[in-house]
Amino acid sequence: MLQVVPSVKFTVVRSYLLAPALFVSLLFSGNPAWGSAFSIAELGARAAGMGTAFCAVADDGSALLYNPAGIGFQPGTRLQMDNLVVVGFFHFIPLSPPLGTVVPEKGFNGSIRPKFIPVGSLYASQQLSDRLTVGFGAFSPFGLAANFTNFNDSDPALTKYPGRFAGTRARLESIWFQPTLAIRITPNSSLAVGGALVHTHLFLEQSILNPLDDALEFGREAANDVFPGVDKELAARSIARLLPEGRVRIAGTSQTLGVTGGYLYKHPQGIISLGLMYRSAVTHHLDGKASFAFTKGYTLESFVGPDLIPKAFPNQKIKGAFTTPATYSFGLATSAFGNTTLSADFHFQDYRRFSSVPLNFSETEATNKDVRTPAEERLVFDFRDSFQIAVGLEKRMGNMAIRGGYLYDRSPVVDKSVGPLFPDSNRHSATAGFSMRSGNKEFTVFYEAMQFVNRHTNVAGNVTQFTNGEYRNFAHLAGMGLRFILGPQ
Amino acid sequence: MRMRKHLLLLICLLLIGGGRVEAQQTRKLDTTTFVVLGEGLAAGMANYGLSEVVQSKSFPAQMARQMKTAFPQPLFQGPWFGDLLGYPALPVRVPTFSQGSVRVFPKQPDPNDEAPTLFVFNLSVPNFRLADSLTRRPVSPVIHNDDAQQTVINMILGFPSLILERDVPLWTQLEYARAMAPTFALVELGYFDVLAAAVAGDPNQIPSPASFRASYTSVVRGLRELLAEVVVTTIPDPMDTGYFSTTASVGRLMRVPESFFQEFYGLGPTDLITRNGLSVIGNQFIRRKIEPLPPDVIQRAAVGAEISNRVRALNAQITDVAREQGAVVYDLAALFNRVRTNGIRVGTTALTGDYFGGFYSLDGYYPGGTGHALIANELLGLLNRTYGESFPLLDLGPIVQEDPVTNYAPAREPGESLFELQRLSIPARRESGIAR
Repeated sequence: MLQVVPSVKFTVVRSYLLAPALFVSLLFSGNPAWGSAFSIAELGARAAGMGTAFCAVADDGSALLYNPAGIGFQPGTRLQMDNLVVVGFFHFIPLSPPLGTVVPEKGFNGSIRPKFIPVGSLYASQQLSDRLTVGFGAFSPFGLAANFTNFNDSDPALTKYPGRFAGTRARLESIWFQPTLAIRITPNSSLAVGGALVHTHLFLEQSILNPLDDALEFGREAANDVFPGVDKELAARSIARLLPEGRVRIAGTSQTLGVTGGYLYKHPQGIISLGLMYRSAVTHHLDGKASFAFTKGYTLESFVGPDLIPKAFPNQKIKGAFTTPATYSFGLATSAFGNTTLSADFHFQDYRRFSSVPLNFSETEATNKDVRTPAEERLVFDFRDSFQIAVGLEKRMGNMAIRGGYLYDRSPVVDKSVGPLFPDSNRHSATAGFSMRSGNKEFTVFYEAMQFVNRHTNVAGNVTQFTNGEYRNFAHLAGMGLRFILGPQ
Repeated sequence: MRMRKHLLLLICLLLIGGGRVEAQQTRKLDTTTFVVLGEGLAAGMANYGLSEVVQSKSFPAQMARQMKTAFPQPLFQGPWFGDLLGYPALPVRVPTFSQGSVRVFPKQPDPNDEAPTLFVFNLSVPNFRLADSLTRRPVSPVIHNDDAQQTVINMILGFPSLILERDVPLWTQLEYARAMAPTFALVELGYFDVLAAAVAGDPNQIPSPASFRASYTSVVRGLRELLAEVVVTTIPDPMDTGYFSTTASVGRLMRVPESFFQEFYGLGPTDLITRNGLSVIGNQFIRRKIEPLPPDVIQRAAVGAEISNRVRALNAQITDVAREQGAVVYDLAALFNRVRTNGIRVGTTALTGDYFGGFYSLDGYYPGGTGHALIANELLGLLNRTYGESFPLLDLGPIVQEDPVTNYAPAREPGESLFELQRLSIPARRESGIAR
């Protein structure tokens, strides 16, 4: 009789492919990144027209964002809504993509589809007395939308965006529902404090089982059974290519509290205004779900069974946490030149708080022997603090006003975290705006051209994630606002 | 006039510039998964069989070691059970005497853990025609007693798949290669097609260039679709191999003058004697009786030339397909021709294309370890030049020393001399000739 290995030997393939605690490095392995720095500064059309140098101006409803003390100077009832539309052009030209990768002529496109990202804000204030004013704002000071998914799962691997193992899609909306109380502590100065219910939704997606990274863990464990007698590392590299490619999607929401405060001094003749603003850091404790999907028809599928991988990575509940930074603003403004207001702001955000994000899976090997999701996966970002410098100008002409401004934004994203979720770099923005008032209504529009400084990254740790390369980004921002002034002007 | 001159200058500069861009483009090679689609030559067949001894010396295996990449092979324990060109087919008996198993399993600390590799990367199947790469697949049961070739296919492409409890795919050679997600593939196909025709002495058995091209395109395209780098080898001319000996080389081997073959067997100076013909003549010498040679051991010059022409036509197709599909061509046929024409010197050892010339093993058409090493070195050199790699070449010195093929020589009786053989042949002169 032919001597053969008992066929039961190959049923063991199941177990040895599951054996490692491979998932530790599976999610967001290497140098993962979230979206670009996720602050949104242009949440008031008038402020945005002035390059967001509005902390010491704060003379409309968006003061609730830029400097809540500003509502203390706004008599009567004010209602305002602002809308912002972002059209971003994100392109990535990989430095060393996998051999044979088909790189589009202009690089991989990271723009979301549809291209327009709408962001809305609502503001209202009501003067209660000469000294007290209350306000309420609903706005989103942090948000993100990135999409480097240029492929269908079944597409040939080398036509897909090569950095997909570091992330493909991200979406963040952090909405502040912020009631605020402002007190005129002197006729020329106001102090405000507000609490906020912060509702946050986060969505992340990335490809998993990178043949050069997490899939190698499979390969090493299976090496002696799939390719006995072959060097383990060499075998692992080949086995990793026989696995499916997967995608993980994580979505979660949180409700938490934040606080804000502001101080505004306005010289009676408008010679100088000074504003200070603080918005607290917020730690978001997310409850959500993680879901996994894998390509079909991979080589090992018939040999290990179609349910091995899905069982190892079941859809499940997940918890996570991350912190959005505190914001400190200082602004100066003057209206000493007739109908012209000049303003300048400095904003500081302690993005260092966004150093790592723990993700806790509810299903682990401890509860189900087939499962390989770890108890915790910690994503390390190590952001640095960031700042923005803004200058603005407003020229009033009867019922109309024109505005202009400039904004420099220093990116908090360090080189190792630049990738599909954070294709970020320092930015220069030029802004222009226009308002027209009719009766108690004011209509405002603005436009901002945001040029990202081309960013080149070449971080050794990112080589297998294929996120090194050149990032070329540009964004158009435009918005409009409608303000109702009820009562005294 | 001046404008035209400037225009011409501009065009020249553009052309030079374009050339520079072209020259700077270097193809890259990833050897992570190196698969080989071939027949007996790439499988490592030598000395009438395939076994782990010769498989470890196959040129793909030697290349893989130099490239430091994984290269699991379907290792066999001798004796070989497949059909041999030039000999009648035999019933399949495996395992047979002295075999503990047919496939050799890599050693493990605990012998109970020993198992074959789940997949192999050397997918070369002895006696495989080009069309087989696209159509033939394993068929249960593992052993077909009346079909050695199917059994060989099963043991290489279908093992252990055929014995698994799971319903797993049974791939053709090309499907198997594609399933391995190769980064680098070597195609050595077509040699058996022409070898079988040459051994049969029938050029018409060689596939037409058109049908060959269609199949070859399918193979190369199938690999290139996966963005694997592909190297294809041209088909050696069987007339260049040791299987076909000139009367001059047989004279040297038999220690008789070349004129002997014309005088006693009626052979022309360009006629060729097959490997089996050498056995026939040798037996006649031992029996001291010269008889007409059976016709199938002589390859007439015209037939040989026709086979060579057809091989060249197929090689032209291979070159064309490679160019179309972006594959790299290694001219294996040129090496075999060089060995036949001039021989090759390795250190102090001269290798020739003659039977017992040191290059070919006993079967006459598959090289020995040194021959495989020479092929491997040429391929490694090609990869280094084409892809800017720096794979170290094999040190041929120790390989020659350890290669029994380079020491093959006809058995001699003690004190046997050229004179005795010549004297032996004289009484038989009247009976000489080739059986018709």
